[in-house]
Amino acid sequence: MDKKTFLYKEQQKLHPKFTPFAGWLMPVSYKGIIEEHNAVRQNVGLFDVSHMGEVFIWGDDSLAFLQKLFPQDISKLTKNKAMYCQLTNENGGIIDDLIVYKLEETKKEYLLIVNASRIDEDLNWMVRNSLGFDVKIINDSHNYSLLAIQGPKASDLVEKLGLKKENQPSYFSIKRGEIKGINILAARTGYTGEDGFEILVQNHYSAYLWDKILEEGEEFGILPIGLGARDTLRLEAALHLWGNDLDETVTPIEAGLAWSVAKDKAEDYNGKSVIMGQLNGTVPKMKKLVGFVMKDKIPARHGYEVYFEGEKIGTVTSGGPSPVLKKNIGLAYLEMKNATSLNTLEKTIGTNIQIMIRNKLYDAVIVKKPFVEKKTKKG
Amino acid sequence: MAQDIKIPEGILCSNTHEWVMEENDKCIIGLTDYAIEQLGDIVFVELPEIGSEFVKNEVFATIESVKAASEIYMPVGGKIVEVNEELINSPEIINEDPYEKGWLVKIETENLQDDLVGLLEYEDYKEEVS
Repeated sequence: MDKKTFLYKEQQKLHPKFTPFAGWLMPVSYKGIIEEHNAVRQNVGLFDVSHMGEVFIWGDDSLAFLQKLFPQDISKLTKNKAMYCQLTNENGGIIDDLIVYKLEETKKEYLLIVNASRIDEDLNWMVRNSLGFDVKIINDSHNYSLLAIQGPKASDLVEKLGLKKENQPSYFSIKRGEIKGINILAARTGYTGEDGFEILVQNHYSAYLWDKILEEGEEFGILPIGLGARDTLRLEAALHLWGNDLDETVTPIEAGLAWSVAKDKAEDYNGKSVIMGQLNGTVPKMKKLVGFVMKDKIPARHGYEVYFEGEKIGTVTSGGPSPVLKKNIGLAYLEMKNATSLNTLEKTIGTNIQIMIRNKLYDAVIVKKPFVEKKTKKG
Repeated sequence: MAQDIKIPEGILCSNTHEWVMEENDKCIIGLTDYAIEQLGDIVFVELPEIGSEFVKNEVFATIESVKAASEIYMPVGGKIVEVNEELINSPEIINEDPYEKGWLVKIETENLQDDLVGLLEYEDYKEEVS
């Protein structure tokens, strides 16, 4: 039996299509994926992402503990700031990708917002790694709802809801605040490539807030957004999806996430020798994540094979239509060992490849990521 | 998705959501509005070659929505004599008008009366799927 978020009844009134996702029954679309997608790119959209997990880390050794878990340098994370991190295993493989927020409180020091499908794995891993650290790992996922307000008009809408622009958190920051009389945590983060907020609220206020956001958002052209458009939006922004583009067999370097790996972090962390080795060139990279655009009209999908000059060199991890570009786009791993004819994979942009779709090869070209320019505001 | 879809008289539907309609000595095949509603925005259509032959229940086309590719089955067997070329460049026509402009193929049938066995009238089909 799939779980339902506290917003299920509100959503039912809007008659979306529901789909099971990571153990939850979630709306996949309300008015149509493309219409919802365009609403977020042009105006503003409201997402229920309450299925995601909230894990608080507190205790005297919080920082030292998180330093062991992540390739990022958490000591550089100041109060109210956020950092995108990967939870890595001993081989540098990615157990989950998540955002770490440093909160103001002295006790609940850090908040981790993690993927719904990975909460249990993450907790097991964290508990196993907590031996010898004075920390408490608190899974508070069942107490919180998470609403994402995303799009160029998100800031105007949040102001109308009661959080003046000068009090809004800056990009990749988090702030306590009040909207419509309800205490919230507002983070300037998201998964769309647009400016926007993720609003953490206690479950019993979420339905009220959902209704108020849609009501006040009407003048901005707000639409409720399902998981379908959430996926097309994140793909255009080339944001990774754990389970598609990330898993325990790839490192942050192979996944193109070197920007989120600290170059000069003193502390050891899980997988550091592999990750730093790949960064410095002393450990070979087995894969490389690239973005591609189909030259043909046909969409490439997760799992399709990638060819270069007649040789299989990789696999599509995410793919589908881009409503903004009106082309089919995708992400794929090129396997270094198979890529003998691509003698160097360091410079792949512009390389023509083929995708095998229902036993036929179709042309595609490797392009720079993201596919659509991100409009998130630097803080 | 158009709200005021007119269901043509005399169509028969399969439980895999294709409709078939007799027109002179040919049959027209398409996808039901219920199927289209479930799929959402159609972004790509792969149609068979003219002259190719398929038996009842065989895959003859692929339709891709934003999220996924779906195989389309022959509600009755036959030879493809015409395909809806307009769908190649404007697959969204299927969303807008699944029973008229959004038809998929026209076929010449061989054992039509046998093949029609098991297909449902629209009202019965609608009752079964909803």
